[in-house]
Amino acid sequence: MNGLVQVNSLSKRYPAFCLENVSFSLREGAVTGLIGRNGAGKTTLLKSMLGFIQPDRGEVRFFGMDFEGNQQRIKQEIGYVAGSFGFYRGKRLSAITAVTAPFYDAWDDQVYRRCLKDFRLDERKTPAQLSEGMKVKYALTLALSHHARLLILDEPTSGLDPVSRDELLDVLAQLNREGTTILYSTHVTSDLDRCADDILYLRDGRLTAQGSLRGFVSAWRDVSMTEEEHQRADDSLLIGCRRHRDGWEALVRAEDAQRVPGSVAEADLESVMIHLERGCGE
Amino acid sequence: MIRLLLRKELHLALHPTAPLFLALSAMLLIPSYPYLVAFFYTGLAIFFTCLNGRENQDVAYTLLLPVSKEDVVRARFFMVILLETAQLLTALPFVILRQTVLTEPNPAGMDANLALIGLALMQMGLFNLTFFRIYYRNVIRVGAAFLWAGGAVFLFITAAEASTHILPFVRDVLDTPDPRHLTAKLAVLAAGAGAYILMTVQAMRRAVKDFRRQDL
Repeated sequence: MNGLVQVNSLSKRYPAFCLENVSFSLREGAVTGLIGRNGAGKTTLLKSMLGFIQPDRGEVRFFGMDFEGNQQRIKQEIGYVAGSFGFYRGKRLSAITAVTAPFYDAWDDQVYRRCLKDFRLDERKTPAQLSEGMKVKYALTLALSHHARLLILDEPTSGLDPVSRDELLDVLAQLNREGTTILYSTHVTSDLDRCADDILYLRDGRLTAQGSLRGFVSAWRDVSMTEEEHQRADDSLLIGCRRHRDGWEALVRAEDAQRVPGSVAEADLESVMIHLERGCGE
Repeated sequence: MIRLLLRKELHLALHPTAPLFLALSAMLLIPSYPYLVAFFYTGLAIFFTCLNGRENQDVAYTLLLPVSKEDVVRARFFMVILLETAQLLTALPFVILRQTVLTEPNPAGMDANLALIGLALMQMGLFNLTFFRIYYRNVIRVGAAFLWAGGAVFLFITAAEASTHILPFVRDVLDTPDPRHLTAKLAVLAAGAGAYILMTVQAMRRAVKDFRRQDL
């Protein structure tokens, strides 16, 4: 398995949850979406990758190096952006930056100044005085200023209004065009429809799908049925079947689409995830 | 990296009361007071710093920096040692003042003399050993760590100050103005320094091990 990041057989057992034998690799230059409902194990996976959690089993390699034993070198090239920058809420951004910058060999003050300007960030403010969107932008600024090759984003748009979210996705798209590899964990699947190349789908601590986003989504179709069509349909083909105001909707495998009555349409990531999670009729 | 982490500790993590508490060394000027209490405030500052760190996600921020988990712990200990050394250094002028100008003995407990500094070192070592043993097993449980460490220090202070009334050796030899019984007091000072080093080094070793295993 080759890639910028390689995760092999990663497992972590808790009394009520288990991350089980997760293996994947991230393609260099790609945006990979890590999806799954709340509690699926996304944060546990990211924390295990970054050494916050001690996995029971498995190995993580970044840039061809084992994380264990090389974490200082590896973290020089990683930028982490979470949904809310909650660090040192009472300290000025300038103070946080002054402490952070010397840790990075590749810190670029010009890039930092440019990001401050582009994102309209005021260094005299504290994180407590920033909106959620501005906090994410500050975290992104720190990540970009040390020329991170890999950006790990954990629910970065969770607290953002639609305009800020749109702006952030534009920034990510731009970064990706410039060659930055991005691992984007979210349950807001519409973000990934817009920017992801690949997908990792976690369900109950297991990686149930991985590969290209387009390939993953194109394997499924949305079906809308009337009451009468639903009664005629073969239940074993319908996945996550649910009733709505005007009838029924379900997910079917693309190869089964012709065998189900009703109107068939291309599925999107959100629809696939919702129906697979519901699992009705499986 | 330790130098940079220490800088981070002082600029971002250190609670603002920590330098202010150093001024409480002036409590050694109070005519009748259990002076070891003055050295307890450094422990309080350490507790506030860890509590403040929990609220500001200090550990998460630090772990995202290009540093090892082990260095995160070591830097915190170096900051603590720096703070405790500063507390002792700020206490010294007041000890000298009590020995030269305000020479009245302290009826509440130990006089402000070299033996007191030795006992203060033991007390701070005990705080480090107890507090960080619990804190680095689970950095969320700052309150529990302080409760145990505070309890241990309280017992130590009670025993040490009470001994000046109960134990003849302490009353007649250690609780006297300097330079009387200087050899015995220097021995207590040296024992205090040794105990401080041993307990703090042991606390750091255990903390590194515990923190490495901890899931954050």
